[in-house]
Amino acid sequence: MAKTPHYAMVIDLNTCVGACMAACAMENQTPVWENKWRTYVHDMEIGGDNDELIRRRFFPRLCNHCDNPPCMSVCPTGATHKLDNGIVMVDDELCMGCRACAMACPYDARYDVTYDDVDQGKEFYGELHHRSRPSVDKCSFCAHRVMRGLKPACVETCVGSSRLFGDLNDPKDEVSKLVKSGVAKPLMAHLGTRPNVYYISDIERTT
Amino acid sequence: MEGMFYSTQNVWTWWIAIYLFLGGLGGALVVISCLTHMYIKPHKQLVIWANLSSFVMLSVGSLMLFLHLLDHLAIIHVLNPMVLVNKPDAWISWGTQFIVWMMVWSIVYSLPYMLETKFWTKMPVVGTILGLFAWVGNLPQSIHNIIGWLAIINGIGTVLYTGLLLQSFPAVALWHNPGVPLLFIVSAFSTAMAFLLLVLYLAIRQDEDHELRVFYERTDVILIGIELLIIFVFFHFTTYGLESARHTAAILWDDMGWIVGFIGFGLIVPFLIEFRGVTKGWNSAAPVVLAAVLVLSGGYLLRHYFTYAGSYERPYPAVNSIRQHSQAGPVTKVVAVMPSTER
Repeated sequence: MAKTPHYAMVIDLNTCVGACMAACAMENQTPVWENKWRTYVHDMEIGGDNDELIRRRFFPRLCNHCDNPPCMSVCPTGATHKLDNGIVMVDDELCMGCRACAMACPYDARYDVTYDDVDQGKEFYGELHHRSRPSVDKCSFCAHRVMRGLKPACVETCVGSSRLFGDLNDPKDEVSKLVKSGVAKPLMAHLGTRPNVYYISDIERTT
Repeated sequence: MEGMFYSTQNVWTWWIAIYLFLGGLGGALVVISCLTHMYIKPHKQLVIWANLSSFVMLSVGSLMLFLHLLDHLAIIHVLNPMVLVNKPDAWISWGTQFIVWMMVWSIVYSLPYMLETKFWTKMPVVGTILGLFAWVGNLPQSIHNIIGWLAIINGIGTVLYTGLLLQSFPAVALWHNPGVPLLFIVSAFSTAMAFLLLVLYLAIRQDEDHELRVFYERTDVILIGIELLIIFVFFHFTTYGLESARHTAAILWDDMGWIVGFIGFGLIVPFLIEFRGVTKGWNSAAPVVLAAVLVLSGGYLLRHYFTYAGSYERPYPAVNSIRQHSQAGPVTKVVAVMPSTER
């Protein structure tokens, strides 16, 4: 019997150009007019002192779909829950918007969807709009696409092939190999969250 | 990753600080008044004052939290007692139930004494409602004591919850440590002692309560002393601890509101006033009343600064920050954030 997949994402910071935000926003109908995103790309310069080489880095941020998610343990209603395949989801029907999850998340992955956002979303996204209630939203690894055998929208549209999505339980999967090799590393693993988003740094690339 | 960023949050601010303050104070009031009445000195007026004040405080505090919610209707999920079966790992689940049941049992415990008081029975509407519960006044003493203990247990739970809530956020060194619940528990009982001293000196005003007032003053001096020691431990922890704790230290120990307002006027001054009171005594109630007001103000300031000064450590700048601190070391600066500069 096939093992249940354990989904994870690897992001290569060497090739990221920050093109995924729009695709994610349209797929998941985030309140972009309020600058609220499920995935957010920081544009940073590194170095520059003492005539050093200045490097520019795009740094994407999203829910890390932790194996030990602090946002789930603090959620009083059970709105934040974890699927067997490792994806951490938010149930809009149960979420009361206390924002404890936003306080608990070390990755700043949560944002508010308010009553106003829901109303404005109807105008912005038209008849395709699917949100009906406020919640403290976040990335879902596009679970609705993954269940149909598709990749998350950000992975599908990533022009630099920076984002890889795969199954950690499949030893032949590229994501699984990169994680196992140690080239791709999680953020702030010392907190005990056991994140499932891994990053390849350019430092790793050059050494 | 090359650089780390340190920032505080603007998600839970003074609204939640008020909630935590009133929750801790209200819970401790019920615990102290019921224990006083059952085991130290029977005092019906004190029970009524404390438990009704607690009811009002918890109502206001819960209203602050309720208004802060994004989806107000969904609160029904945590008001349902089954939430303790469905989500026993979430302290907000426990806290909501502790608060609700403490309010219920503390009022039921006070009912027989309210029924004996003309002020309440003659009051329009309230008097009528009290009349419907006249049978509560005829319950045997053993049942009444059990009701008191139900209120006490839920009161202790409420006090504990206000501390454990912040402790359950692992990304912030200031909050995620066992000192926070301890500090909040001591502070809650200290502020409750201060509130009861105000009630005894300004509202009830009976000479026969002298011993009880002295007992509360002595206990409060001890609690403030313990609180000062815990604050010193936090000073050490934040100053010499993790990088995010040191950023918290940079915020707290550079703020006159924290140093002068909370530590100075919220702890040290009332400690000295009450210490003088229990060792040499005062000729009037004014100094103790002043100390009690300062302790109550300090109780709020503690929670205010704790919610504001919790510093997150992240490999990228937060989009929801009110204070940003970039770590020294490899230079990492944000030149722009796509597609605009701020959320």
